[in-house]
Amino acid sequence: MKPAAPLWVLLPALVLLPVLALLPGISHGGGWELVGQFAAAALRPSLDPLVLGSVLGGLGITAGIALLGWAGSLALGVVLGIASSRVVWRTCTGSAGPAGWIRRLLALPRSIHELLWGLLLLQLVGLQPAVAVVAIAIPFGALVARVVSDLLDALPTANLEALRCGGAAAPAALLTALGPPLLPQVISYSGYRLECALRSATLLGVFGLGGLGTELRLTLQSLAFPELWTGLWLLLAVMLLLEALLGWLRRRWAMPARLGLRQRAVGGQGREMVGAGLVLLPLLGAVAWALDVRPAALLQWQGLPPLGPADWSAVAALPWPLLIGNTLLLTLIAAALAVGLAPLLLLLVQPWPAGGWLVRGLWALGRLWPPPLTALLLLFVLQPGVLTGALALGFHNLGILGRLLLEASETSGVAQQQALVAAGTGPRLALLYGRFSGLARPYLAYGAYRADVILRESVVVGLVGATGLGSQLLEALSSFAGDQLLALVLAYALLTLLGEDLSDRARLWLLETPHGDGHPQEAGGTWR
Amino acid sequence: MPARERWTAALAGLCLTLLPAVLPAQNGGLVPPGLAQQTTQPKPAQAKPAQSKTVLRIGAIPDQNPEKLNRLYGLVADELGRQLGVKVSYVPVTDYAAAVSAFRTGNLDLVWFGGLTGVQASLQKPGAQMIAQRDIDAQFYSVFIANTRSGLKPIQNQKGLAVLKGKRFTFGSESSTSGRLMPQYFLSQAGVKLGDFAGGAPGFSGSHDATIALVQSGAYDAGAVNEQVWKSSLRSGKANRSKVTQIWRTPSYPDYLWLGQPNLDQRFGKGFTAKLRAAIVSWRPSDAEQKRILELFGAQQFTSVKAGEYKKIEQVGRQIGKIR
Repeated sequence: MKPAAPLWVLLPALVLLPVLALLPGISHGGGWELVGQFAAAALRPSLDPLVLGSVLGGLGITAGIALLGWAGSLALGVVLGIASSRVVWRTCTGSAGPAGWIRRLLALPRSIHELLWGLLLLQLVGLQPAVAVVAIAIPFGALVARVVSDLLDALPTANLEALRCGGAAAPAALLTALGPPLLPQVISYSGYRLECALRSATLLGVFGLGGLGTELRLTLQSLAFPELWTGLWLLLAVMLLLEALLGWLRRRWAMPARLGLRQRAVGGQGREMVGAGLVLLPLLGAVAWALDVRPAALLQWQGLPPLGPADWSAVAALPWPLLIGNTLLLTLIAAALAVGLAPLLLLLVQPWPAGGWLVRGLWALGRLWPPPLTALLLLFVLQPGVLTGALALGFHNLGILGRLLLEASETSGVAQQQALVAAGTGPRLALLYGRFSGLARPYLAYGAYRADVILRESVVVGLVGATGLGSQLLEALSSFAGDQLLALVLAYALLTLLGEDLSDRARLWLLETPHGDGHPQEAGGTWR
Repeated sequence: MPARERWTAALAGLCLTLLPAVLPAQNGGLVPPGLAQQTTQPKPAQAKPAQSKTVLRIGAIPDQNPEKLNRLYGLVADELGRQLGVKVSYVPVTDYAAAVSAFRTGNLDLVWFGGLTGVQASLQKPGAQMIAQRDIDAQFYSVFIANTRSGLKPIQNQKGLAVLKGKRFTFGSESSTSGRLMPQYFLSQAGVKLGDFAGGAPGFSGSHDATIALVQSGAYDAGAVNEQVWKSSLRSGKANRSKVTQIWRTPSYPDYLWLGQPNLDQRFGKGFTAKLRAAIVSWRPSDAEQKRILELFGAQQFTSVKAGEYKKIEQVGRQIGKIR
């Protein structure tokens, strides 16, 4: 990978200047007392058995939903991914045409946030645990499909061609030539998706689709901070455990690292993987049974509520330019904050090891807190609006990006950094020039992808008002305004598709490799 | 050939693995849902899993602290179960709109709705029955409250609401009648639009308790709450008069009601709806259990409902755009 100018990674952090300049204008400080209470409660979470019981129950539901939704999305994603792979179509039928069409069709389910899927399904099939599971499985499945097909099409085809020339049948040749190199990447990626699924399941709960998120929102809204912290601490423990377990499995099974991918063959751990799979299957069944997830119940559609005649002129009269403009502004600020702050914070605390742990802790909290909860907390001291929403989304994504950056920088540029330090360079400059400059391109490429995710996520901070399409959408939902809802969801889908295209171009441009080593898909492509 | 055999074997294995997962879905899918349920339930629209036949599931809009709701509706479930001889369970719902949806999709049999959500639910579920309301609901009030440090003074008449322009203001839930709909209606009559508040939008705290706590803390300068919750917060000491104070009381309007599914009689036996209404209306402070329920509801007793009263709520709802 060609190194980039070292300051590239810090470029997005420039957004801090306008944000810091605007912050005094929107802060009112009325609720500092509440923020103080909230922070103080972190040290003394409620240990009331009743609270613990309901939090543990909620956590169980959230984890179960995440696990089932994740498994569903993987099954769906692998099948659809193979079905939308050009290599597979070309090898089997001689023409890659259908792959492109399936790909385009899959863009639609992917472009709609899981929260919207959840709320839509809620209207169709009623309140039941399966709703959250399917809501996660659909968009995640389409996402996995895209990654799997990208990975498949990026694999070297020499082996495949050799097998075909030798007379092997198309399916057998595909499986033999592409299966082994694909498997570790898919397993590594699916581990990452499980983390995403846990975050999504928590978020869906915040909007009433069951589990711990529900408790979190209700305790926050009733300002019961000790009870809120009981849930947050437990969720943090589960999240860190899951991340540690997945990281351990990834290393154990010789998975490629996150950003600076170095492909290695599966290290004779096939039996372990099969074993893990065999444990997972009955576990999934047990979870489904415990959660009372009934696929059959999903088929009992209730029909939509009797809607009044659609009032399209009222829909057209919505302030569309403002809504879309605010949504884009929110996305850009949040993305720039998240992408820029992660390396900046690491650089700032580099001389002090304790600071590094503080930053890690802060990021863990950022990943953990669903953005709508952060937004509600921010409202205690800030006025509602785009900036408040952007801060909440930026904080959440900073946690995710920061962790990726840390992981990637652990494995790359160690030698350069040590050389710089030995030559007498300060610790910060050594980190910036030694490690970050090599990572700048894949990191920014991932940031471009993350901006696309943030655009989709902007719907969830609609709670803080005046944040564009998201807040309008939540308002339309509580008014049961089907026509507005349809128009807003379509606008969202269109925007995210455009955003996806733009971020793809940005990634390709960033990952352009003049020397021809490494594939553009490698870094940005895998971690979506 | 061997290659083909292997593929067939692999495919067969996969099919067998997936069979259990697919099977129940197939059973449901092969028979049209309406037909499958016909023997037990006459209306396909209310087709629900078997357990719903015997349990009366009650719910409520989450307008107050969850612990208070759990206490109150636990008592209500016990009392109704005792009086009616059926199993009654309370299903907590986290969101006003979700309560409406759950009623429409038949997940809840009897729901304590606000005026707006009650009208939304009855419009979405034709035949829904207004069972009962509290003595205070025919003439219900909202109050505007303000933080004492905000400098807002009691308002003499409705036009005075204009002083709230440029202030940080919070409603309760988006779909609350007393915490949003009617206050917004009175505000708009006084010429205050939602964009006039500080930050260009009002907040939506989620519940009346939350509004009081947020205004008291100073996070918002002012807010609008249900008068009954406000009074009970003052009595319990949760609202501190030195920090938060009432600045205006709205004119009266009809609010909360118990709304029941149209098919209660078919599911629980002929005349069940009438028995249910009679049971709720019969609660009196002379009975110890019923006294606790009525106290938590902030009422002396329940009465029957005149559906016509809620026309005004529907009108206002349409005007504000919450009913379509």
